[in-house]
Amino acid sequence: MNWFVYLLFGGVVGLDATSFPQAMLSRPLVAATLAGLLLGNAEAGLYAGLVLELFSLVILPFGAARYPETGTAAAAAGGALALSGTASHGLAALLLAVVFGLAWEQVTGLTVVAARRVNERLVAGSDTESVLDIDQLERRHLLAIWIDFFRGAVIVSAGTVLGGLLLHALAPLIGLQQLLIAGALLTGGCAMLGATLPIFGNVRDNGIPLALGLVCGLLLILLR
Amino acid sequence: MLLRSFAVQGSWNYRTLIGAGFAFALLPALRVIYRDRPDELQAALQRHLSIFNSHPYLVPMALGAVAVLEQTESPEVIDRFKSAVRGSLGSLGDRLVWAGWRPVCVLMALLLVALGSRWLTSIVFFLLVYNTGHVLLRVYALRAGTRYGKQLGEHLRSAPVERVQRNLQRSGAFLIGILIPLLASGRSLRVELPLWWFAIALLAVVVGARFGAAVRLPLVFALTLFTLVGFALEVIR
Repeated sequence: MNWFVYLLFGGVVGLDATSFPQAMLSRPLVAATLAGLLLGNAEAGLYAGLVLELFSLVILPFGAARYPETGTAAAAAGGALALSGTASHGLAALLLAVVFGLAWEQVTGLTVVAARRVNERLVAGSDTESVLDIDQLERRHLLAIWIDFFRGAVIVSAGTVLGGLLLHALAPLIGLQQLLIAGALLTGGCAMLGATLPIFGNVRDNGIPLALGLVCGLLLILLR
Repeated sequence: MLLRSFAVQGSWNYRTLIGAGFAFALLPALRVIYRDRPDELQAALQRHLSIFNSHPYLVPMALGAVAVLEQTESPEVIDRFKSAVRGSLGSLGDRLVWAGWRPVCVLMALLLVALGSRWLTSIVFFLLVYNTGHVLLRVYALRAGTRYGKQLGEHLRSAPVERVQRNLQRSGAFLIGILIPLLASGRSLRVELPLWWFAIALLAVVVGARFGAAVRLPLVFALTLFTLVGFALEVIR
């Protein structure tokens, strides 16, 4: 396991969320899976990413809204699940990784706010009379991007290590049946799918495509 | 300008939003327009450092239009133009991308995972499909901006935005419909949940649809509480 590569990966995830290039490498499904891959268990990362992605669907970056940063948190959760080696504890470890990821995204969200405050000092100045020449603008804009990269690298790596330690210590201590955990996670996922429906407009207006989808989904289950 | 537009949010801040990023991305055009006129170049740069916002994928539209206007119009006209398009480009991008293209592509990827596809297939599919739309939108935006300039607003009014948005919404609802039984069955986590769990899942969907994004925080607390109960059970044992 090459921690330098993992740091670079964390930086890319942090950067992709807002600064550059917003190619959705920072989506929880992608970030968690790649984190798991880098730490030796892509499938573990994929499952963490699946659940965390369902919880991220309703988070919309409209305007200047402040929201938790889900990509770096998901990377930390997926990486922690892979790093902790708790696969033998099955869904208990996944449950803990998801809860950790959902908590860690509050921390990552705070780092985003802090980075934006730094950007304000770099390029917006403390008064309306501040002047930037071309070289200053390009240097400071690029510096802001580097700061975001560094932020992502630190927050993903720190979260992965912390989460990994927590999972390693606590996953064996969850005394719940696998089916119950799966049911809880997937019911939460279904609730989040329902919560996503209003994003696509009035639920009544989308009744027919929704119903068609339900029928197709049921058929897929029956046929497989 | 197109390449720099990918970094337009690099210095996003609460005071000028993407103002500095806009100036950064516009610099190549300004350098050409104000070649051999450094004072005017600096003045133009300073003007564009002020507050500005737009959806990042549609910012090339504003960049292209402003690059055209810088050659023919006064600073006041350019400032009014930027103020006018700011809200439109923001809300258009939010509707088409953040609340349209992106969740639809994510749902397709989730569907592949739920159907048992390899992780590589799902991830690569999602990134390829999503970013094809992403890059095409940026290219279209830059071309439209440079072509229509000040008439950009009229062009946007005649674009089939409502139709595209409606199709994305229907697709999203359809994909959610397919995913619900797949999630409820447990197969996405490689377990087999009993049939009656489908009723609980449907109830959860209804609650989610009723309360929307507000359901997220209570769900997070519920999952945390569930985990703590798990610890308590093990301690009792």
